[in-house]
Amino acid sequence: MNGSYAPAEREAHGGAGNAAMAVSETSQAVLSVAGVTKAIGNRKIVDGLTFDIYRGEVVGLLGPNGAGKTTTIRMIVGLIEMTSGDVFVQGHSIKKDFVNAIRYIGGIIENPEFYPYMSGYDNLRQYQRMAEGVSIGRIMEVVKLVGLQDAIHKKVRAYSLGMRQRLGIAQALLHSPSILILDEPTNGLDPAGIREMRDYLKKIAKEEGISILVSSHLLSEMELMCSRVVVIQEGKLLTERLIGEHSADNVQQQVMISLRVNDVELAQQTAKLHQGIQVLDAQPDNGTVTVQLPEEDIPSLVDSLSAARVRVYRIEECKSSLEDEFLKWTGGNRIA
Amino acid sequence: MRSFGYLLWNEWLKMFKKRSFFIPYLLLAGMVIFVAFILSEFAQGSADGYGFAEMALSTRGMGAMLTLLAIVMTAGTVSKEHSMGTIKFLLIRAQTRTKILASKYVMVLIYSATLVVFLGVIAVLTGQIVFGPGDGAGATTFSEVLRAGVYNLVYTAVYVTLAFTAGILTRSTGSAIGIGMFMIVAESLAVQLLARYSWSKYLLFFNVDLSMYDGGAGSVFPGMSLMFSIIVLAAYLLFFLMAGFITFNKRDVA
Repeated sequence: MNGSYAPAEREAHGGAGNAAMAVSETSQAVLSVAGVTKAIGNRKIVDGLTFDIYRGEVVGLLGPNGAGKTTTIRMIVGLIEMTSGDVFVQGHSIKKDFVNAIRYIGGIIENPEFYPYMSGYDNLRQYQRMAEGVSIGRIMEVVKLVGLQDAIHKKVRAYSLGMRQRLGIAQALLHSPSILILDEPTNGLDPAGIREMRDYLKKIAKEEGISILVSSHLLSEMELMCSRVVVIQEGKLLTERLIGEHSADNVQQQVMISLRVNDVELAQQTAKLHQGIQVLDAQPDNGTVTVQLPEEDIPSLVDSLSAARVRVYRIEECKSSLEDEFLKWTGGNRIA
Repeated sequence: MRSFGYLLWNEWLKMFKKRSFFIPYLLLAGMVIFVAFILSEFAQGSADGYGFAEMALSTRGMGAMLTLLAIVMTAGTVSKEHSMGTIKFLLIRAQTRTKILASKYVMVLIYSATLVVFLGVIAVLTGQIVFGPGDGAGATTFSEVLRAGVYNLVYTAVYVTLAFTAGILTRSTGSAIGIGMFMIVAESLAVQLLARYSWSKYLLFFNVDLSMYDGGAGSVFPGMSLMFSIIVLAAYLLFFLMAGFITFNKRDVA
């Protein structure tokens, strides 16, 4: 279910099916990473990485330190040359047709850096002059979108990190790209700033139909922001997952709940009498029992517990967080 | 072509918006006025108006100062983008790297030209005011001043190109300035030490000062001519620029 997200489209790139790909408009990937490899000497930092991003999707690129996230992102935007493979943006190859491919990309690579001695407005003018058909009106439009109207004529030297991040987004949106590529966009932001950033990005993806590829090591952030994650390790694709409300876990209808009770022993015995309930964990110390069961069986479990005179203080759903899953995927011994 | 104009304008603004932009011009003006004052106080009658201007522009005189200032300003055109991190935004635009670098190089040449023109104008004005127009047969003519300006521009362009390439290769403003200045100092040394070898006529140092064909102080070898020097200089410039452009195009920005 999860991994087989779009196998048909992917195969189209591999074979001679590029023409066929253009026909099916709705399913055409905005960004298509096709077998990208970066080798330095004998070491492959990124190894045959392949994934697609579709319109309006927010996709997270996850991986432990040194997995090749930043290298991948830099190859996508042409800052680093790939050893083999290619990246297609709206069907244009970054390798062979850089100018026409890159115009659909807006990017922030690591921290946004500007000319500190110029105003935010002058910095944006620099990039406006380098793009075709971007009007002065568009500058003010994006400035308003990121809420920098009051500070735009101040020198960037005087900007806070949060303001710089916003100017970075403004810069990336200036030429109305189809996809935003953000490398660690919440780096160094305070909680309020992170939340603000997340809201902007979600809004942009929803309202303007822009796809977003974001790499971050903040897993909880990715969970809140992304509709899908691409997990890589040692330069290779580990797994692709839908997350959040799109997650396929719901299909199983199995939920994991933890119960806080006065008598763990008795509760365990009662639960075991039920069909389809699995007791995963019991901790007499703090009086919790963790069980897995189909959602519709919960009321009957509660009934039998109270019939057995077990006092239930709390019933909580144990959601397996992205962090848990991430550690499961990557082997758990490394920090993201 | 229009978009190249925009790139040039961008490069100009990157220099112009800096607070330090006017310092080289102020230094040159201050130097000219100071030297004129010293000469008129302590060595009266030693110079005429145009003669003073020619001396100010000559690379064997005050003109070498101009080259140093131009190197300082232009060494950072590429390396500063790296050190400030702005290179990342610069290279993810719908422009080829060649075009971006070409706009930087052309702006470096334009900037050098503004320095030469500025120095020339200040020197001529100061010369005329302090020393008055020269009279008699021995006096320097205006066309000699113009030629001194052109020789200075060539000299500066060569060293600035060298510093520009050094900035691309090393990605460090400091080393680019260092390399540029070192070469200027090494020039006079090399000219003294290597003059006895006939192959040294192919060295950059023996050809950058074109004023030697015009009664200047350079050493001219048998077989050297203005055309010879121009070809040698063009070959060196081509080599520097190719090294710079190829490196810039291939470089992984990490």
